[in-house]
Amino acid sequence: MIGYIIRRLLMMIVTLFAIITLTFFLMHAVPGGPFTSEKQVLPEIQAALDAKYHLNDPIWLQYFNYLKGIAVLDLGPSFKYPGLTVNEMIVEGLPVTMKTGVLALLCVVALGVPLGIVAALFRNKWPDTLVMVFATIGVAIPSYVVATVTLYIFALRLGWVPTFGLDDWRGFILPVLALSGFWLAFIARLSRSSLLETLNEDYMTTAKAKGLHPMQVLFKHGLRNSLIPIVTVLGPVVANLLTGSFVIEQIFALPGIGRHFVLSITNRDYTTIMGITIFYAAFLMVMIFIVDMIYLALDPRIKLGKASS
Amino acid sequence: MTDTIPSEVASKAPAAPPSVSQIPADKWLKVGPDAGDAEYIAAPSLTYWQDARRRLSRNIPAMLSLAFIVLLLVAAIIGPWFSRYSYFEQDLALSNIPPFFETYEVETGTGETARFFLNSGNFKVYGVGPGGEVEGLLRATKKDLINKQHRYEFGETAVLMDFKSLPARMLDAETGEVIGTSGWSWNATNWFGTDQLGRDLLVRQLYGARISLTVAFVASLVNFFIGVFYGGISGYFGGAVDSVMMRIVEIIATIPLTLYVILMMVVLQNGLLSVVVAIGTVYWVDMARIVRGQILSLKQADYVAAAQTMGASTRRILTRHLLPNTMGPILVTLTMLIPSAIFIESFMSFIGLGVTPPLASWGTLTSEAVETLRAYPYQLFFPAAAISLTMFAFNFLGDGLRDALDPRLRK
Repeated sequence: MIGYIIRRLLMMIVTLFAIITLTFFLMHAVPGGPFTSEKQVLPEIQAALDAKYHLNDPIWLQYFNYLKGIAVLDLGPSFKYPGLTVNEMIVEGLPVTMKTGVLALLCVVALGVPLGIVAALFRNKWPDTLVMVFATIGVAIPSYVVATVTLYIFALRLGWVPTFGLDDWRGFILPVLALSGFWLAFIARLSRSSLLETLNEDYMTTAKAKGLHPMQVLFKHGLRNSLIPIVTVLGPVVANLLTGSFVIEQIFALPGIGRHFVLSITNRDYTTIMGITIFYAAFLMVMIFIVDMIYLALDPRIKLGKASS
Repeated sequence: MTDTIPSEVASKAPAAPPSVSQIPADKWLKVGPDAGDAEYIAAPSLTYWQDARRRLSRNIPAMLSLAFIVLLLVAAIIGPWFSRYSYFEQDLALSNIPPFFETYEVETGTGETARFFLNSGNFKVYGVGPGGEVEGLLRATKKDLINKQHRYEFGETAVLMDFKSLPARMLDAETGEVIGTSGWSWNATNWFGTDQLGRDLLVRQLYGARISLTVAFVASLVNFFIGVFYGGISGYFGGAVDSVMMRIVEIIATIPLTLYVILMMVVLQNGLLSVVVAIGTVYWVDMARIVRGQILSLKQADYVAAAQTMGASTRRILTRHLLPNTMGPILVTLTMLIPSAIFIESFMSFIGLGVTPPLASWGTLTSEAVETLRAYPYQLFFPAAAISLTMFAFNFLGDGLRDALDPRLRK
């Protein structure tokens, strides 16, 4: 167990290093410097800016310094907002992103799994059809379309919810709906097929033959086993809920990390793009790692050390 | 051979039986098992692809989706040729015209009727022809901005466009009474209406379909080649090569791919080619894994050993023997890739990283519609519907193909 965890952690460090390197050199491959703009800057000012941000250093030295900064969790200054660091942007935006993200995750798990169970139990009857129709709609319609259409109907037309901001609980409804829609549908489909597969297992027949209560058969033998594939996809789900959030944050004008990210792209604020990318990647890897650990703890059938294959 | 059996059965049958229940029991003769008939294969045996095609053609949602996709392809390819408009042609006098509108009719005093409609989004009045053609922006003869009333004259009749309270209304200039509408009319000039620069939305929508489908097919093909090549080599050689290649795949799989497409787009600058390159080079990981898994199990097959014994080269074994046998799962993965490519492209365009203006993609059309959502919601409807329907179609087709090709279901 310990060996496996250490191996996974080492793997994470290698991956993160690869991401940092790739991001750094990709951003430095962009034609033009970070201060290239339509406005003519005096050569003295340009030189002073270059000196301030160490842009005259050879690229390997810049890279080395960047790595040193990341080692002490310093993602550097923003090029477009003088006086604001990338760290400050993340600290400022993270609570907003986390709030909607965690709510969406709760929605996905607390609604998706029960819907899937209902569909599986009523296989080929109307509840199943209903759930599957909604699941197909949820998988097919892109999140930004859900966001804009619901924004128009419920915020602009009916006025039930505010069009932007998270000042009261109603402000959360549309962003969380748009964010969780796809994954809610995905999890519902997955838990349906997983439970259907489990219901056909021999041990389910055995449990029934032993004379156990149907509820006990379903929950203790069926559900627990069918939940395993759902736990495995939760890592990527968390990843996608977070990366999916930037377009949602832009549409609903939520001041989260995603909005900073989109703004930094339009502003060509390279250090911020770089910093937020690395932050996202690190965050997601930690999430996937945690989920995998939970998965290991849940399923005793997995032989430790071979789980990655 | 096929006709003989039914004709034999027909000759044994009594001519025009009155009713089955009226036949006495002793007249019935039990038909004994016929050894020849039991062995007889009534239908020709089907190959894997024939069987798959048959299963697919019985799947109604998948066939409807296929029809929709073909229709969309045809519309995207030839549609713009039949349009009077181009995707970049602007006409600011006819901006933000809806696809249908409520018309008003007034007598001009000379026995003629003037038809016009009021665009409630920008408080402008446009003349309408008998068939619903938009004839152009009408000029107000007097603009009273303090009382929020614009005066329009049609021959001897004058009307007031009143926008003190929303929605704006048309008033009779003399009596001050509200003029009722004479009915709805479809926009015969621009079927889907126009955007804020007066560009025809139908033609832009068709160009959007071109972009989305081009990106989807080209990016999926690039992914297909990289994935099949990578997975094929990794699976066929196995051992150390496989370990190293699969470790690399594991690393790539941990990276959130949306982020990387965005980074690539920032580096490559906007444009159709960049979108294709960015999406095409990132999403091959699933394909590589599936191909590798298939090849790993298939390379043990006798026909591979036979090919090796006959001295076939590695390339020949891979391309002639192994890959054709993994085509089913590859095709399924490919159809599943197409909707995600469409989604990513529109997503990128939506946040402003896709095709360069004035080119339109469904994503840019949606984001342009969001800017004017409050006043012109119809602009959102068509791109949103188009992308949703296309995603539906590809999802259903993918599901259908999976059911038709999945070897696990073929028992």
